[in-house]
Amino acid sequence: MVTHDDGDNACVSRKSGFLSRLFSTHHKTIGLQYLWLALASVLVGMVLSALLRLHATWPDRAIPFLASIETTPERFAAIRLLHGSLMVFFVLTAAPQLGFGNYLLPLQIGAEEMAFPSLNLLSFWMTVGSLFGMATSFFLPLNNGINLWLASAAVFSLAALFSSLNFTTTTIEMRAKGMTLPRMPVTVWAWFVNAILSMLIFSVLLAGCAAVLSDRLLGSNFFSTASFLAAQPQNLVRQGSLPILWQRLFWYFAQAEVYVAMLPCFGIVTHLIATFSRKPVWKERLVVLALCGVGLVGFCVWGYHMFATGMNPYAPLVFSVLAASLGIPAAFLLASWLGTLWDGHIQLNSAMLFTLGFISLFIAGGLSGMFLARHDLARAAVNEEFVIGHFHLVMGVAATFAILAALFFWFPKIFGTRLNEGLGKVHFWITFAGVYAIFMPLHWVGLLAQSRVLGEGQRAAIASAGASIRTFVTIATVCTVSAQILFVSNFLYSLLRRAQTEKNNPWRATTLEWSIASPAPADDFGDTTPVVHRGAYEFHSEREIDFVPQHLAPELPAEQAQ
Amino acid sequence: MPGTTAGPEIELVEKLNGGAGGGKPPAEGNGGGDDGKRGRKGPPSPSRYYTGIAIGIVSILMFFMALASAFLVRKGTGEWVPVHIPRLLWVNTAILLASSATLEMARKRLAHSDVNGFRNLWRVTTVLGVFFLVGQVAAWRILAGQGIYLATNPASSFFYIFTGAHALHLVGGVCALLYVAWRKQDESHVSLGVVAEVTSYYWHFMDALWLFLLALLYLGK
Repeated sequence: MVTHDDGDNACVSRKSGFLSRLFSTHHKTIGLQYLWLALASVLVGMVLSALLRLHATWPDRAIPFLASIETTPERFAAIRLLHGSLMVFFVLTAAPQLGFGNYLLPLQIGAEEMAFPSLNLLSFWMTVGSLFGMATSFFLPLNNGINLWLASAAVFSLAALFSSLNFTTTTIEMRAKGMTLPRMPVTVWAWFVNAILSMLIFSVLLAGCAAVLSDRLLGSNFFSTASFLAAQPQNLVRQGSLPILWQRLFWYFAQAEVYVAMLPCFGIVTHLIATFSRKPVWKERLVVLALCGVGLVGFCVWGYHMFATGMNPYAPLVFSVLAASLGIPAAFLLASWLGTLWDGHIQLNSAMLFTLGFISLFIAGGLSGMFLARHDLARAAVNEEFVIGHFHLVMGVAATFAILAALFFWFPKIFGTRLNEGLGKVHFWITFAGVYAIFMPLHWVGLLAQSRVLGEGQRAAIASAGASIRTFVTIATVCTVSAQILFVSNFLYSLLRRAQTEKNNPWRATTLEWSIASPAPADDFGDTTPVVHRGAYEFHSEREIDFVPQHLAPELPAEQAQ
Repeated sequence: MPGTTAGPEIELVEKLNGGAGGGKPPAEGNGGGDDGKRGRKGPPSPSRYYTGIAIGIVSILMFFMALASAFLVRKGTGEWVPVHIPRLLWVNTAILLASSATLEMARKRLAHSDVNGFRNLWRVTTVLGVFFLVGQVAAWRILAGQGIYLATNPASSFFYIFTGAHALHLVGGVCALLYVAWRKQDESHVSLGVVAEVTSYYWHFMDALWLFLLALLYLGK
């Protein structure tokens, strides 16, 4: 695993044992460990998705791990669940919030540490335990597998609760002098709002897990199987209830997770766009309000769903509702991003490319969401492949692009060197083209399959067209997954070479984490207390030195910024 | 807004510290006129513990609200055989209420710098907490004696999960009480007064939560 091979590169300048670093309570170490966890999960998850596509296209060929699928269809569902839970829990939730958040939140608000470092360590190891449990559940027989998966999800919820307690308290209590709420970077706002949202969502999730688990293990009567089957759409019941249970369980969680995964990405994207357009965030207050709006909508939609149905995780999927309710705050955010880009001095490096890629995917995914937002329309006109195309674009891939952008941006802060720009750009363009080549055709296939106005002959033609489109999607998937080798080699190459020492503030950014050395020293700010004198996005493109860092005192000359 | 709620608590903390080695939390805002270059290795502000416990309480409340909503929804679906609450629960409730009272009396002693009186009353609180837990277990045994188990019907499932989850949270509270009872006055940078106060918030919350759950189980049957 990459995690352990490269553990030595964790930027702790003091030489200490591997074990003591593994159990360190320092926020940068924990943040980095979350990022390693996410990297390992994303690689495994991607390989699984390629295997799934290969099997779907050539079901007769023997494919590793999938050999037994023909006899036991629930294995296929279990692999999908494994792919989904790796990606959603340990990549989309872990990387932007827990990884970058733990690493950067104290640095960006000028705090010495997280508020409760030991609790932070505990929640990291609970997350690792939950990953282990979810991975193991895949190898167990069906019933035990579901139980172990539920228990792991409960552990993950508890860990997420501890983390959000830490994030919220740190943001409220540990800000440096002068770091008033309006001066907080949008990233910090996003982590903060997201922590509050996770706290509300994951406690409900924990209750749900406890109740379902108690039903399955102790025979209690919180939910009955009869009402579960009655609640299923007819076309799903016919496949037998157990494989569907795997998928239902996943969606029950993923519904909440959509908001938790997207919020920190919104913060990261806003932050990067301002920095690389050399302009202040357009309507910054509105952006913060929109972030709060996403949080509120997220809680209301999901919470309403949970409360009104008495937390029944088997209630039918109302995934599409969130596309509609997310629309208003999402439109605000989009307007602000475009407004910031407008007339900016845009620097098209890899980090910015991935940020722009995020916006593109967000718009494309959002548009197909319009179809799904009409529940009746969604039932009648599209099938599962359309839904898969939609949520992968808007949530999975877009969030991954934001994570990659953040990695390119903060890599110098974490490791003291930049990722290779040339490789980064090639990687971006291949991946960008690749994900559109995968998920756009999936939308078409989803629409084609349900077209009812056509005659029999036309339908047969369309069916054969659908088959060739599916083959195309599979080939595109394999190519895109293979292209990630570019990223992994860029990552390893930059880490191992590391000869080039980077300037402390290579991107000429304004926030506090760039006021200290790169890579960040073990004791962050050392013996000095950071003091904040201004807002987070003071860019003045008309001046020679076009940015004013937050820590720069008003009486000091602008040259100090360098 | 977060900054404003911390104000009175910080004053309270300073009062409780009584100047005995407790750290003065850094002032919020721009006032004070110091240049921020002084060493920062002073004791960190204890106000984070107040915020932390408040957020923790909200989170626990959400957990029980979710279960309560499931209770109300499930109640309407039929096959509902109400559980008759054992009389013992009323005794337990009285014990729990008494423990909250002794806890407050203990804290009053501490405010008057009577550490011995504080410790004695604190121990009484802890013992009452343990009594409550023992009483809850006894109540479960009474129900089990009547043939009512977790799996008997939806109502009994909810009865056991409510009382069980509350008892689990209360075990945490008892551990906190024991920790406060055994720790030395100046063991760390956080004063005894702060730890006692934070613990008391949790304990009173558990108390109020129990009253809510009891009302739910009693009226909702």
